[in-house]
Amino acid sequence: MASYLMNILVLFSINAILAMTLNFIMGYAGIFSLAHAIFFGVGAYTASYVAIHYTDSLLICMTAAIGLSAVLSMALALPALRVRGEYFVAASLGLQVIGVTIFSEWHSVTGGLSGMVGIPPPTLFGFTFTDQAHFALLSVTAMLAILGVVALLVRGSFGRSLMAIRDSESATQAYGKNVQAVKTLSVAVSAGLASVGGTIYAFYMSFVNVEGFMLDASILLMAMVIIGGTGTLLGPIVGAALLMALPAALTYLPFLPSEELGTVQQMIYGAAMVLLMMFRPGGLVGKRKGKTV
Amino acid sequence: MQTSTVRVVRAMAASVFFVSASSAWAQDLVIGGLFPQSGNNAEYGQIFSSGANLAVEHINADKKLKGTLSIVYEDSQALPMQGVIGVNKLINVNKTPFVLTGFTGVSKAIAPIAARTKTVVVNGGGVGPDLADLGEYFWNTIPLINLEVRTLAPYMVKERNLKRFALVYVDDALGQAVRKELGEALKSSGGELIDSFSVPVTAQQFAGIAARVRDTKPDAVYIASYGGQQAQIAKQLRDNGVTQPLASYSAFTIASVLALPEADGAFYTSQQVNWDKGDAITKRVLADYKEKYNKAPSPYVLNYYNAVYAFGELAAQLQKEGKPVTGENLLAQRRKSPNFEFVGATVKFADDGTVSAPIQVNQIEKGAGKMVYAAPAAAAPAAAPAAAPAAK
Amino acid sequence: MLYAQLFVNGLQTGALYALIAAGFSLIFGMTRVFHAAHGATFTLAGFMFYEIHTVLQWGWLAATLGALVVAAIFGVLVDRWIYNVIRRHEGSFFTLFVASFGLAIVVQNVVAIVFGRGLVTVSTPLSRSVEWLPGLYVAPITGIVLVCALLCFLALQWLLTRTDVGIALRALGENADLIQVYGLTPRRLSQYAFLIGSVLVVPAAILTASTSGLNSAMGHHIMLISIAATIVGGVGSLRGAAVAGMLLGMAENLSLAWIDPQWSEAVTFVVLFLFILFRPGGVYGKAVVS
Repeated sequence: MASYLMNILVLFSINAILAMTLNFIMGYAGIFSLAHAIFFGVGAYTASYVAIHYTDSLLICMTAAIGLSAVLSMALALPALRVRGEYFVAASLGLQVIGVTIFSEWHSVTGGLSGMVGIPPPTLFGFTFTDQAHFALLSVTAMLAILGVVALLVRGSFGRSLMAIRDSESATQAYGKNVQAVKTLSVAVSAGLASVGGTIYAFYMSFVNVEGFMLDASILLMAMVIIGGTGTLLGPIVGAALLMALPAALTYLPFLPSEELGTVQQMIYGAAMVLLMMFRPGGLVGKRKGKTV
Repeated sequence: MQTSTVRVVRAMAASVFFVSASSAWAQDLVIGGLFPQSGNNAEYGQIFSSGANLAVEHINADKKLKGTLSIVYEDSQALPMQGVIGVNKLINVNKTPFVLTGFTGVSKAIAPIAARTKTVVVNGGGVGPDLADLGEYFWNTIPLINLEVRTLAPYMVKERNLKRFALVYVDDALGQAVRKELGEALKSSGGELIDSFSVPVTAQQFAGIAARVRDTKPDAVYIASYGGQQAQIAKQLRDNGVTQPLASYSAFTIASVLALPEADGAFYTSQQVNWDKGDAITKRVLADYKEKYNKAPSPYVLNYYNAVYAFGELAAQLQKEGKPVTGENLLAQRRKSPNFEFVGATVKFADDGTVSAPIQVNQIEKGAGKMVYAAPAAAAPAAAPAAAPAAK
Repeated sequence: MLYAQLFVNGLQTGALYALIAAGFSLIFGMTRVFHAAHGATFTLAGFMFYEIHTVLQWGWLAATLGALVVAAIFGVLVDRWIYNVIRRHEGSFFTLFVASFGLAIVVQNVVAIVFGRGLVTVSTPLSRSVEWLPGLYVAPITGIVLVCALLCFLALQWLLTRTDVGIALRALGENADLIQVYGLTPRRLSQYAFLIGSVLVVPAAILTASTSGLNSAMGHHIMLISIAATIVGGVGSLRGAAVAGMLLGMAENLSLAWIDPQWSEAVTFVVLFLFILFRPGGVYGKAVVS
């Protein structure tokens, strides 16, 4: 039982990290990304690759993951952010699709559909993370750290610029803010921190394959952010907790066959998204009318 | 105020209750089944579990084990990651020492977990040759595809004069294995694999592939896929002007493919099963399965029946010796007594956890598979390594 | 001959994509709603056709009617019951998009529960191809697809240029507030837009069901095509979306001569990225920067 709960804790923390980083661009910058799962994946694959081929040091693997994710995200941001709104959605959708294809086809690096097996446990200053309890501690610490980073950024002048851009890009430009730079930087931060989640995930499962990074995963993350409440600090965490508790709660309904659990879960959060947008666009944590400070 | 006697009696009764209850609970055994229950490959999950369930029923009816045996299923959807999540649940939550699985990709993903947690995982459906190298805790009750391909290739080349093959294969561990094996097997039989075309696991549209297959002008087309997709490939190849004979492996033995009009005349390999073995277990399985499902069991059903049967035998022996039924003990027990009277075959587990069985070639005729060639038992590779040094 | 064959295949795919994209572009161009549930309309229409034709065996005419009715009702009701509520109090791009997306997910999973998550096809002898020229196989259904698409576009053209509703719809796309001056209601017109846009998807759904088959998750692919074609064609241009749909269908099929099918979806997006990089206005439209 303890093992089961710790497993949920680790996965919850990872999802919270992903939701927070997605909220950073969706809620505060107004940039809609359907490709967040790809940055999660890039983080996971990078960390695994470095761990299997070079070193199992947690810091090095994580740094490599963050770096690669950030660079890749800038490659997406630069062209797509010139034109706003639906264009970035389309471009991020494109990245999601192409990313999945690359993960599945680049056999020599990602192992293709078979994935990467046997990822060694990571070490940090001589300590090796082998037990579930170790990972639980690691993931919760990472989650809190990232929460802190996001809070700092949002409350500072960077965050204010972001929100100004979200509310009116042309006005912000008129004030002399370098809109392109701020947007690109925010996407890089979001992707880089998301890959921290990816790193922890890869080491925890000791197996990575493309299935965890497909469109469904990006959609689930988006649902977490929206249901929890965009543009709030705690919203994504609440969203992550709720959507993770959902499958477990559903197992208590005896009339649901076990293979339909995933389907019913998706239906519930799809419906939640529709209803929330109709009556409470700010999400559960946010204000009634959405868009907070 | 209760007298002390009454309280003592109550305490004794309670403790007797708890002791007997806990010992009964402690004896109840749980095994796991990690099969696709949804998606394109759900048909296999149903077939696999029908075999496993029948064996569980028989074991409980015969009271072979102290306590009841039950099986818990998790949906792998035939995907590696879902398999990892499912097997973790089976091991950590249900605490089972023995898990049934299928599909090469899923098996490869969960094998390290099996090794790490010392859980026995048995495969009765996947056939990728890598499945022989997944560690001592990974066992197979099905002969692997290298045997199938090495039986089919010489038959097609020599008996049917079909030398030039085109291959349509699903782009995962199994498909890639088939590509390698088929290429080698055809070459050594005097044939040739002229070209191979990979398709994504989720593809539904094969008109373009069919055009390219036509372009290579093969003598026959080999399809390496599974579930709903292989039926789609067969149908769309025929729809788009590919008239050459089709060939595949044991994954074709599902109702949806056998019944497909476009698949009529296709060749496929499967393991040989001696239906007339005549011993009690074979007769009973044939009778009970026919009664329940109104049809004869396929080799997949037997493989999973045999896997659970093996568990029953090993666990019974362990219980007799007073040892706990853990994966480690199951493995040790299997090593001690590797011979089993399975349904339709007498089988010995090799040290790497595989079994060998001769292969037969079938042809689909009016919705059912008809055997057209049975490879002689001496052709089975278990004999081959012994034969090779002798031949020197 | 391989190229000729892939070209013909591309014509078929392209015509279907053109219909789908035109429906989406009509809705988006005229109502400014990013109707991410367009894929859901397609899925519902396709499965309804399958259910009536193959499961209930009531014949293809009843099945076609059933599909049309389902698509029309779904499109209009989504607008009335969901989008209107949102537009009343806020109606930002974000909120509408998310609601639409959530709805698409609900529909996908309802279909998965009812029909399972596997592949489903409608068998018809029309999909069996005949050898026209050595190495060139064409099925009767390809001809049907092309004729159907042509008829639909002609009908659409007539509708938008010759009828009052059509002209009002185009006005709605240009300036929603102004049409109120003329005594027309944007709300009523937007329902027409959803009706027409959703119905356009039905022939594509039926023909896809008969050729490559349906599955509950195909809404995603439909949305991918719709969005990509709308952007490549130019936001607000119906002709652009149709042309872009044809272009994408062609690219997807012709590329099979050189690359594996795993990459065909990626090809669609490479085309999209190139347009975003070098010509964000698309083939016919103008780029919108807010």
